[in-house]
Amino acid sequence: MNEVPLTHILVLSTALFFIGMFGLFTRRNMITILMSVELILNSVNINFVAFNKYLFPEKLDGVFFVLFIIAIAAAEAALAIAIIINLYRNHQSIDVDDATEMKF
Amino acid sequence: MKEFLLVILVAPFVGFLINGLFRNVLSKKIIAFNACGQILISFLFSLVVFSTILESGGAIFEYYNFIKVGSFQIPFALQIDQLSSIFLLIITGVGFLIHVYSASYMKEESSAHFGRYFSYLNLFIFFMLLLVLGANFVIMFIGWEGVGLCSYLLIGYWFKNTEYNYAARKAFVMNRIGDLGFLIAIFWLIAKLDTTSFSIIFSNESLAKLSTLDITAITLLLFVGATGKSAQIPLYTWLPDAMAGPTPVSALIHAATMVTAGVYLVARCNVLYSLAPITQTIIVCIGLATAILAATIALKQNDIKKILAYSTVSQLGFMFFALGLGAYTAAVFHVITHAFFKALLFLGSGSVIHAMGGEQDIRKMGGLSKKLKITYWTFFIGCLAIAGIPPFSGFFSKDAILVSAFAKSPALYFMVLLGALLTAFYMFRLLFITFSGSFRGTKEQQQHLHESPAVMTLPLIILAILSLVAGVIGIPDVLLNGGDKLSEFLSPIIFVNNEHQLSHSTEYLLMGLSTILIIGVIVVAWVLFKKYKTTETVGIGKFFENKWYVDELYNKTIVNSINKLAKICNDIIEKSGIDAVVNGVGRLVHYGSRQLRLLQSGQVGNYILVMVLCMVLVFSFQFIFKK
Amino acid sequence: MNALIVTAVLGVMMMFSSIVLKRNSAIRMLAIVGLLFTFIANVLDSSGVHFFSINIKGMMHFDQFAYFFISISIFCTFIFFLLSAKEMERIGVNYSEYFALIFFILCGIILVASFTSLLILFLGIEIISIPLYILTGSDKKNLKSNEASLKYFLLGAFSTGIMLMGIALFYGSTGSFSVENSVVIAATTSPMLLIGILLLLFSMSFKVSAAPFHFWAPDVYDGAPTVFTSFMATIVKAAAFIAFIRLFSLAFTPLQDRWQLIVAVIIALTLFVGNITAVFQQSVKRMLAYSSIAQSGFMLMALLAFNTFSVEGILLYIVAYSISTMGIFSVLVKMKDSSLEEFNGFAKHQPVLAVALTVFLLSLAGIPLTAGFLSKFYMLKAVMHSGNFLWLIIFAVLMAAVSVYYYFRIIQVMFFKESDSNTIIVSTSFKWLLSALAIIIIVLGVYPQLLLQFLV
Repeated sequence: MNEVPLTHILVLSTALFFIGMFGLFTRRNMITILMSVELILNSVNINFVAFNKYLFPEKLDGVFFVLFIIAIAAAEAALAIAIIINLYRNHQSIDVDDATEMKF
Repeated sequence: MKEFLLVILVAPFVGFLINGLFRNVLSKKIIAFNACGQILISFLFSLVVFSTILESGGAIFEYYNFIKVGSFQIPFALQIDQLSSIFLLIITGVGFLIHVYSASYMKEESSAHFGRYFSYLNLFIFFMLLLVLGANFVIMFIGWEGVGLCSYLLIGYWFKNTEYNYAARKAFVMNRIGDLGFLIAIFWLIAKLDTTSFSIIFSNESLAKLSTLDITAITLLLFVGATGKSAQIPLYTWLPDAMAGPTPVSALIHAATMVTAGVYLVARCNVLYSLAPITQTIIVCIGLATAILAATIALKQNDIKKILAYSTVSQLGFMFFALGLGAYTAAVFHVITHAFFKALLFLGSGSVIHAMGGEQDIRKMGGLSKKLKITYWTFFIGCLAIAGIPPFSGFFSKDAILVSAFAKSPALYFMVLLGALLTAFYMFRLLFITFSGSFRGTKEQQQHLHESPAVMTLPLIILAILSLVAGVIGIPDVLLNGGDKLSEFLSPIIFVNNEHQLSHSTEYLLMGLSTILIIGVIVVAWVLFKKYKTTETVGIGKFFENKWYVDELYNKTIVNSINKLAKICNDIIEKSGIDAVVNGVGRLVHYGSRQLRLLQSGQVGNYILVMVLCMVLVFSFQFIFKK
Repeated sequence: MNALIVTAVLGVMMMFSSIVLKRNSAIRMLAIVGLLFTFIANVLDSSGVHFFSINIKGMMHFDQFAYFFISISIFCTFIFFLLSAKEMERIGVNYSEYFALIFFILCGIILVASFTSLLILFLGIEIISIPLYILTGSDKKNLKSNEASLKYFLLGAFSTGIMLMGIALFYGSTGSFSVENSVVIAATTSPMLLIGILLLLFSMSFKVSAAPFHFWAPDVYDGAPTVFTSFMATIVKAAAFIAFIRLFSLAFTPLQDRWQLIVAVIIALTLFVGNITAVFQQSVKRMLAYSSIAQSGFMLMALLAFNTFSVEGILLYIVAYSISTMGIFSVLVKMKDSSLEEFNGFAKHQPVLAVALTVFLLSLAGIPLTAGFLSKFYMLKAVMHSGNFLWLIIFAVLMAAVSVYYYFRIIQVMFFKESDSNTIIVSTSFKWLLSALAIIIIVLGVYPQLLLQFLV
């Protein structure tokens, strides 16, 4: 069985990255935006693991980094949900465009 | 000596601290005593320092390292030499007199405001001393900026009036524009020479390292700084507005000391300027233009302080004109005499305003000579001095400028002479309208008229004496053999250019010509304005008043055309030209601010979009265009 | 290392302190004493007394500069506590937790000041950011606070993503996380490395609110409770700068010519956007937010040139800027709202505070004899040394002139306007403290060696 080449994986992660980024400025729903953020983080994770496995297999530091990212992403997600709930209580909406009290 | 300098510098600062911190507790007497006393201490020590300079020449003292990074350092160093010692004496001497005068002039103020006023005034003296004593550009810049700040505070002293606030801000912003030039010049010097010390920069080795372009750019940038501080075209409009401050402030800051800082700067850097002919030509043009423009505007003003303000601008123009010609000594000489007579005139006008209960419009004055005898005579002396009548001090300093102009080109000479004639005209118009004729104010004002107390008249008398005799230091060789002590004294600092020696007969001729013309102009002014009536007089009164055809003739020909010229200068050049440009820049910033903030739309999506676009832009530059 | 562990432990202690300590003043006291202890621990650490010996596998390195900066940020936090800790009571009920979060942020600051591995940098930045999201949204009933928190989170997460991508690419091309020149030199030709470095540049520019990545700053600073804005805009921002400079000076100098011009353009943009937009602001709080963007423009200059000037300059700048900004904010916190009218006639009611505020504003505007002038001078001098950027210097000086306009507007209303209504009430000790800070600003402006001599 042929091994999947590194470039394929990089293309996948880059695609994910840009999908996430695209989601960030097109989506209005806060939960969807949160998911876009997670997409970006996960694309990075894929990158790390792929680099580690293909290019530097003798050490595991890329994989360790991924563990840290996952931990922090979890913390961020928890926090984000808290913020969104709080905002929902005041605004009765989870549309980011409704939260434009401050501008200029 | 090192300690003396420190005392000179610190005494006003101590005064500032005491008055500033305890202004609510101290009585007015103590505040005034403290403020004047500190300046007196400075003045006495300045005298000591000056006498040492006379014997042993200048020196530089380093106190500590202000900035020290690796090999680069900017020491906190003071430089005392011939040039700075002269300014030292002017600042502390005239400053002391004005402090004394202020103590009486401002006595109606409440105790706290009185303290505030004197603390600002002391702080100003401190910064001004720092400016002239600094041994490198950075220390000088600190003083430079500091005096601007104090001037801002003092112009806005009567802060209840919004217009005054506006004037204060205008003064500060315009000064800052000038300061930009100064600051960039400093950085340029650092980039090229890696130092800011005068003594190193003006040495031959350093000068050899600078290209002509460098020198021209640096001198021009420094000159931009000077135009801001010394109110030259195009940054002069703040000075007339600055008259919103109390009159003694106008006398000290806007006549005798701060506005001459630009002259000091150029004179201090005379080595550089002598190497930059392009800059010199520009300075000559701007100085001349300022001198004549401001003089013509002064012809039509009716506010006593505004006339003096425009006159200051015009006189500063003369000084810069001299600097541009390379006649640095003449410029410094004019700074000295101008400090005396202009301070005198301002304080005199203060005395008049005081007597008139705050009235500044000369059309509502008249005939004051009977009631304000001392003020009148001292003001008269001031006018004679500024007009340039021998043997008053102004004659000698103006003559020095005129002679150096003639040596350059007769055309320049006649233009400057025109400026001098205009000066004589508007000053004597002011004098006659204010002091001759009959009183035109209200009844209450007439009853209120009184001579100012001795504390105010004494400085006037001292300044009048100085205006009379100060010319002695610079009597040209022609009149007194072994004269011209000033050039001799300044020769270690200012390179004397002897190439344009005029013959004695020419010099006599020039002196005679200017004197006769000036006297002629004064006579014209006397005829026109000795029985000045406000223009409202119509009908028979007017008919009687104008019984002299001469008057009519003068009015038709000279006065009308002069008035028109003054109006053009005032309305078109100043209001719609320079002011419009300066205000326009401000409006542009405001407009830009209004537009730019729209970018902050409040929507997260937009923010991210803009960021991503910028990133894409950078990447495309990096990978597509660079390859 | 001492300070890192002490702050972490203190953070946990503060979290649970409200169970034991019932009075707010006791909690405050504990925080202040704890901070003092941290300071001492750090000073001892820098002079060789280590409380702990932990093998950190070369992922962190405490040099003199790091110690010095950590001391400065602890000291500034100390001042922040003294000035504004009492005001935190007004925000919400979880008084002790705010302190806990601040201690955790300090922990992150220590990490980013001493990292040598990108992992530590990432952790440090996140440890700073996550508590900040919470602090920003801590005023739960306030719509603005909620919104600011959301915006901060979304944009912050985005920049974290960018940063991680940058780190991933860096790792992919070098095979290492360690921040060293040699690592980069081995792979200079790789385009992936360049992309990685640029992505890191963008994300760090975001953290220091440099244009065009500054958009979060005005909204977040404006919406967050004023107390926390003053902390965010000063100490946290300074830490981001140190991380930025540390990262680029340690590792990325071999590729300097590829990113130096971009940094110069970013600086120019930052100065432009910050200063020009500040001119029109009506709210002092928002104006200060833009002013802090403008000030970052100057601080970023340290990134253009790595020399002794920039090292000393950035520290001086951080101290001058932090103290001045915190001083102004500490007064702003006590006011009803943050409109400019609140300052009308302030000089009459609170002459001492007005004078202190004037000194702070003068320092921010860069008027001589204040620390602000000298720090700007240092920065410009540093850029001067690196050459080729005379245009930037001229532009920066111009923009500094514009800044005078909006800083002086506050001075003007304080001194030259009549006030109509009531004014704030402050304690005498607050007045003394603020005057002391003003004196520090002036003393540093006259004799900067007082501070910089510690950095040898």
